[in-house]
Amino acid sequence: MDQSRFKQFMERIERGEKIEANDWMPDDYRRLLLRLIHMHAVSEIMGAYPEKEWVPKAPSLRRKLSLMAKVQDEIGHGQLLLRVAEDLAAPLGRGRDDLMEDVIVGRVKFHNVFHMEAPSWADAGIIGWLVDGAAIMTQTALLDCSYGPYARVLKRICAEESFHMQHGESIILALAEGTEAQRQMLQEALNRWWEALLFFFGPPEVTESARKMMEYRIRYRTNEELRQKFLTRYIPRIQSVGLTIPDSRLRFDEAQQRWMYTEPDWERLGRMVRENSGPKSQERIAFRRRAHTDQAWVREALIRARAQAAV
Amino acid sequence: MQEKTRSQPQVAELHAGTRYEVYEIFVQHDALQSHHHVGSVWAASPEWAIQMARENFLRRDHAVSLWAVRRADIHATAGEDRDFFAREFDRTYREVSGYADNAQRWKRFKARAMTLDEVIDDVREGNAHGSAHSGG
Amino acid sequence: MAVHTAAVELSIEHREALVDFLRQLADDELTLGHRDSEWLGFAPDVEEDVAFSSIAQDEVGHAVYYLDRLAELGEGAADVLAFQRDGGARRNANLVERVNGDWAYTILRHFCYDVFDTLRLRALTDSSFKPLAQGAEKMLREERYHLLHMESWVKHLGRAGGEARERLQAAVEAVWRDLGDLFSLGAHAEVLVRERLMPVPPEELLASWVDRVGPVLTEAGLSWPGAPTLTTEAGRVGVHGPELQTLLDTMRAVYHLNPETRW
Repeated sequence: MDQSRFKQFMERIERGEKIEANDWMPDDYRRLLLRLIHMHAVSEIMGAYPEKEWVPKAPSLRRKLSLMAKVQDEIGHGQLLLRVAEDLAAPLGRGRDDLMEDVIVGRVKFHNVFHMEAPSWADAGIIGWLVDGAAIMTQTALLDCSYGPYARVLKRICAEESFHMQHGESIILALAEGTEAQRQMLQEALNRWWEALLFFFGPPEVTESARKMMEYRIRYRTNEELRQKFLTRYIPRIQSVGLTIPDSRLRFDEAQQRWMYTEPDWERLGRMVRENSGPKSQERIAFRRRAHTDQAWVREALIRARAQAAV
Repeated sequence: MQEKTRSQPQVAELHAGTRYEVYEIFVQHDALQSHHHVGSVWAASPEWAIQMARENFLRRDHAVSLWAVRRADIHATAGEDRDFFAREFDRTYREVSGYADNAQRWKRFKARAMTLDEVIDDVREGNAHGSAHSGG
Repeated sequence: MAVHTAAVELSIEHREALVDFLRQLADDELTLGHRDSEWLGFAPDVEEDVAFSSIAQDEVGHAVYYLDRLAELGEGAADVLAFQRDGGARRNANLVERVNGDWAYTILRHFCYDVFDTLRLRALTDSSFKPLAQGAEKMLREERYHLLHMESWVKHLGRAGGEARERLQAAVEAVWRDLGDLFSLGAHAEVLVRERLMPVPPEELLASWVDRVGPVLTEAGLSWPGAPTLTTEAGRVGVHGPELQTLLDTMRAVYHLNPETRW
């Protein structure tokens, strides 16, 4: 590597400057960012599927509209993030089609929560409330990212997430205020999602790539810091609506000033993400294939139509 | 990054010369604002870029005009060449802040310093859609 | 003929006709909006996914407007009307209840419907029922983008030739089989037109539709199957295909767990 360029680059980072797509950057900076943003983009798009199942079944006109708008936003966020990833991938000779095909052949991972089943309307509520809540925390933690295009897009995404937060809360509040059956439905959904939510923030140990990302000021907080913030913010709310968190060992340790919890099964959930072996992984990858591969004829037709018009 | 192992030829490769391209999108929110950059879309033609941009960037915001510009047609400064924008020495002579002492000096003549905002408000007063003080 | 601004001024005959017509309008929009929303996550690229979802939301939003007018006429709350009525009480045309099929069918059906809907809305801006006239003005503005979008799709897919045009031509044949009841005004047609609740009769609307759709299909290189004939009232009098029942079962899956509670 060009040592003086690297030194200049690190000086820019340390001065708090934002790096732009066409600026010189070390290869591992590009690769770390690309892996992070590609996974983020794909997770937004794959995250549409568990909620999308509930759009046709949404139990009121208002819910139908708000869920459509919410899922649409997720796909829109996927679009914004894909564009950032595509610009990072361009010097490597890769574009939109390659990044999408990576999903279909399992070359890019997506967040554990989107491999899971969402078998009841309450799951749509828990996703909107807690999965989005967790995602808002991890995204907010990236707002000061040293890569300008990512930071700008995250600003826009976070602004839209505030509607998602209200949307999720509105669904779970209606269930919590509702009948015994509705409250039970909500509790069961929470039981299903709790372990996955803890896993979502990633393992507590600081991996080599996490350390590197902090050095490059791509991110500032560790997984555990964010998980603790999530727990502090959401545990009181979860309990206040009368739900029981399915972890008998959960408690706040005053001495350490941190939440103690039963560790999620890192091995099993990690394998699910790595191997796409979750209950819904393959079905949702097949959905993406249906959208992208099966409709290649449409995109091809548009290109042909343009070529014809140019003649 | 792994080697590209593609199961089928890419759409773009099937039709050398034309392909989906990146279009940068600029939005004008109202007639008194300039267009500003909001992001980009991947589209088959300028026409599609405009249609996609409407929903990808204006789901919530109002707008009066939208531009789509082929990324390849944009000429830009080099990102790292910060010196292109260098302004290192005093230029307060061309800014209001460089004349902070005027107000003090008007006092000697028992007159009050005037600001441009006052003049604007005065002149626009009563215009149909003019200043904030026109009362609509 | 009087201009009606509120339900109280309507005669029984008018009221029945108006309620039936509002159901046609609401059910067309709700059913198509529901079908459109099934594309979420499946459109040919993510940009289109976002664009198409906005159209779906617009359609459902228009349905809400019509259902709220029904609620004002004392027909029950919008949600009750949307979720509780069985197929026999639904007044949407058969065309909008059909399953989506491929992208070619989806956009061709939408284009044909949007041309129809735009003409219907234009007619309604002169409706003697003021709330309809006012709503139509607003909806027409939103339909502008829908029509532009669908027309672009039809022209571009057609112009592309090959597989795309073949799929589109097949879609034309399929859509044409379902146009019989689209223009029908149902059981109260005579009152609706006479009282100018819907000032333009079906034959006239159809003629304008043919004028508008024909040139687009020609430009897309598609063969014109001939002007559709107004053969049946089908959907407009509650006669639907099995697809609608499946759609309703899905739509009501959660609602029916407890129609009394808030969700």
